Amino acid sequence: MSHSKAEARSRSSLFSRHENLTPLSIFVGFILIIVCLQLGSQGIGKYPTFISPVNLLNIMMQVAVPGIVAVGMTLVMLSGGIDLSVGMLASLVSILVSSGISTWGLGVPVSIALGVGAAIVLETTMGFIISRTKVEPFIITLGGMITFQGIALLVSHSREVTMNGELDFLKTNLIKGAKDPVTGLNLTIPPYVLAFFAIILVVGLILAYTKYGRRIYAVGTNPNAAYLAGINVRNMTLSVYAIMGLLVGIGSVLLLARINTGIITLGQNLEIDTIAMVVIGGTALRGGKGSMLGTLIGIFFLGSIGNAMNMLRLPSEVQFVAKGLIVIIAVSAADVSTQVSAFMARRREHALARKAQ
Amino acid sequence: MGQILQLRNISKTFPGVKALRGISLDLNEGEVHCLCGENGAGKSTLIKILSGAYQPDEGGEIIFEGRQVTLTPHLAISLGIQTIYQEHIVFNSLSIIENIFAGSEILRGWVLNKREMRRQTEEVLTYLKSDLDPARKMEELSSGEQKLVEIAKGLVFKRRVIILDEPTASFSSSEIENLLSIIQTVKQSGIGFIYISHHLDEVFKIGDRVTVLRDGQKVNAQAIEGLTKSRLIKDMVGRDPSTFYQREKVEIGEPIFEARGVSGKGVRNASLVLRRGEILGLSGMTGSGRSELMNVLFGSSRLDGGEILIHGKPVRNTSPKAGIRNRMCFITEDRQNTGLFLPQTIARNVTTANLVQEKGFVRLPGEDLRVGDEYVKRLNIRTPDARTRVLDLSGGNQQKVVLGKWFHTNGEIFIFDEPTHGIDVGSKQEIYQIMVDLLRQGKAIIMVSSDMPEVISMSDRVLVMRDGAIAAELSGDQITEENILTHSIGDSTI
Repeated sequence: MSHSKAEARSRSSLFSRHENLTPLSIFVGFILIIVCLQLGSQGIGKYPTFISPVNLLNIMMQVAVPGIVAVGMTLVMLSGGIDLSVGMLASLVSILVSSGISTWGLGVPVSIALGVGAAIVLETTMGFIISRTKVEPFIITLGGMITFQGIALLVSHSREVTMNGELDFLKTNLIKGAKDPVTGLNLTIPPYVLAFFAIILVVGLILAYTKYGRRIYAVGTNPNAAYLAGINVRNMTLSVYAIMGLLVGIGSVLLLARINTGIITLGQNLEIDTIAMVVIGGTALRGGKGSMLGTLIGIFFLGSIGNAMNMLRLPSEVQFVAKGLIVIIAVSAADVSTQVSAFMARRREHALARKAQ
Repeated sequence: MGQILQLRNISKTFPGVKALRGISLDLNEGEVHCLCGENGAGKSTLIKILSGAYQPDEGGEIIFEGRQVTLTPHLAISLGIQTIYQEHIVFNSLSIIENIFAGSEILRGWVLNKREMRRQTEEVLTYLKSDLDPARKMEELSSGEQKLVEIAKGLVFKRRVIILDEPTASFSSSEIENLLSIIQTVKQSGIGFIYISHHLDEVFKIGDRVTVLRDGQKVNAQAIEGLTKSRLIKDMVGRDPSTFYQREKVEIGEPIFEARGVSGKGVRNASLVLRRGEILGLSGMTGSGRSELMNVLFGSSRLDGGEILIHGKPVRNTSPKAGIRNRMCFITEDRQNTGLFLPQTIARNVTTANLVQEKGFVRLPGEDLRVGDEYVKRLNIRTPDARTRVLDLSGGNQQKVVLGKWFHTNGEIFIFDEPTHGIDVGSKQEIYQIMVDLLRQGKAIIMVSSDMPEVISMSDRVLVMRDGAIAAELSGDQITEENILTHSIGDSTI
């Protein structure tokens, strides 16, 4: 009996065996809809601009920075935590770095080190509190978010800090002169896009193929069992927030390079966007379930929504509605698909049982 | 005196286990009816049926004041059957009054009639000769005072039956005296009590009648008067030892693990020696400190005093990590919460505990799968391969995954806490065989168990714990149900 049961379950649907398939198929569906809408409005003969090389590169440039933070958020959420402070922390870092360069005259390398260092120290402090107390990470990082906002406003005297393009080297075009065959526009790949891909690849490999990655999953799935299996749960939690600090630091510097101005609104809604990216990618809020590949899908999915709305000339207000709905659909679809496959498995079991009688 | 409650032919079957078989029981007005039996005899199941949480099997009847009823939790309370569970279910941050009236507040129109609720609470507390301020918060009260509040609740609502499940578990001796005298007062008003306790002293002090359960069957029901403690214990034990599992004995070698005067949370001055090839059984009542001692030995709970020696050398198990490095394995009682990563695959589960000892940073999933498949085959886990999530396995197979996890650390000192808890009979035998195989490889086992036949059939020696200390060591012919139970209960007067 138990034999056939386990077998029936392991033969369950494709979707439950490959957890990234649900978000991926919704994403592909989304792209198809946008492409069809474009074809409908422009006529069949024209190549849909949404999937033109120049637009795809645009999307990459837009998602690179939130993507880097989402990589950190994936680690935090897999370990069973959450971090609401990343947006304001990014604003704070951008203000620190830009002030360092324009106001305090520290020079570019020292300013960057200052900003990234501050991010690591602040995140590690929160991680320390979260791992040593029983207070929910939600509360601690909420407190962190408000605190960082305050510090950022104090440092910048509630003003914006403009730079003279000192960080432009981070957004030089690496493929100067290349033209898009579809639109004839110039193609751009700045270094920060490459940085994003490098980071997600490295962290994704660590997560999937190292002892450290295994421990994150163990801690996120069942901290009690992880502790009894000899894993230092507290230090694992601490380390995840420290890594988050590093990634937010890097992300903020790149964001500052794009915008050229350190300002409190720079990181606004970054925490919302990154959490949305991670959950669209199938990572569970309770920890232990998810993967970097899923997050990659989530990053591009959420990143392309706004872009697609622009292509369809929809007002920006609609984008929020669309983003929100897609988060809800993507996350509940994953659950619906597990429920459906459990139902199918039960039906198969019943059928087997009836046959056996 | 009229009869309040009558149970006729109550049975309860859970998948694979018959928890109760044909129990009959009745309760009169103003009577204290005690229920006795070992851990797992069926006492808890019976009170869950009385409180409406479980439904009895077909054929059982519950008669309340002459009417046959089908109890639900709601109906049980509205009929006046109140169950006071071992763990307090109270609203800690609310006052005594608010706790008593939670869910049944007295109203005047749409607003709370606080004055009336306070008056009734004070009246009952005075009746109980208690000087507690009704406005005090539950969290400020001792566990004895909290029990008193629950009894007060029964009086306020004029309950007919109050069921107390191990009420004195965490009490001081003066609190016990106090509770017993309260029960004696309250029963005068005609309330019937069902009192469950393994403290036979209490049973003899306040009981009018006692019913003994064993393996879900009623052994005896009689008046306390004229009964002796040793007779009661004989009723609680008395299985036929020839029906027990027969285990193969293994040659016992030198001591490999030793605890000297170990103290910690819930453990006082415990000493033990474990030899190669031996199963050391650890018996005792629930709450006697067995699991607590195991946690201290393994390193998952702090060692406050004493020392631990492995192969004669003192070691410090400051964390589970240290315990694992000292070649210890801890198969915990609650495998779902502390032993397994349920949503993960078998492969990941069995390789987790050994991560501490592995060198190198890279872990290939293929390697995990190979190890996982090896244990699926070796432990005969019934599933196609190690890719199956542990969630989808039966209890017995889940326990084998836990074993696999610890075998992979290559430990030699095994702690089994309730190794066959919630496992079907077939898998039980397999797990016993796996334990014997471990002994043959020169390992040693400490086995905590509440399953009396298991303790007797598997152990080479048995330690009995009571109140956080080791009360007795039994070996050879001394290992009998009666001896174990006598030392667990610990009445010197027997």
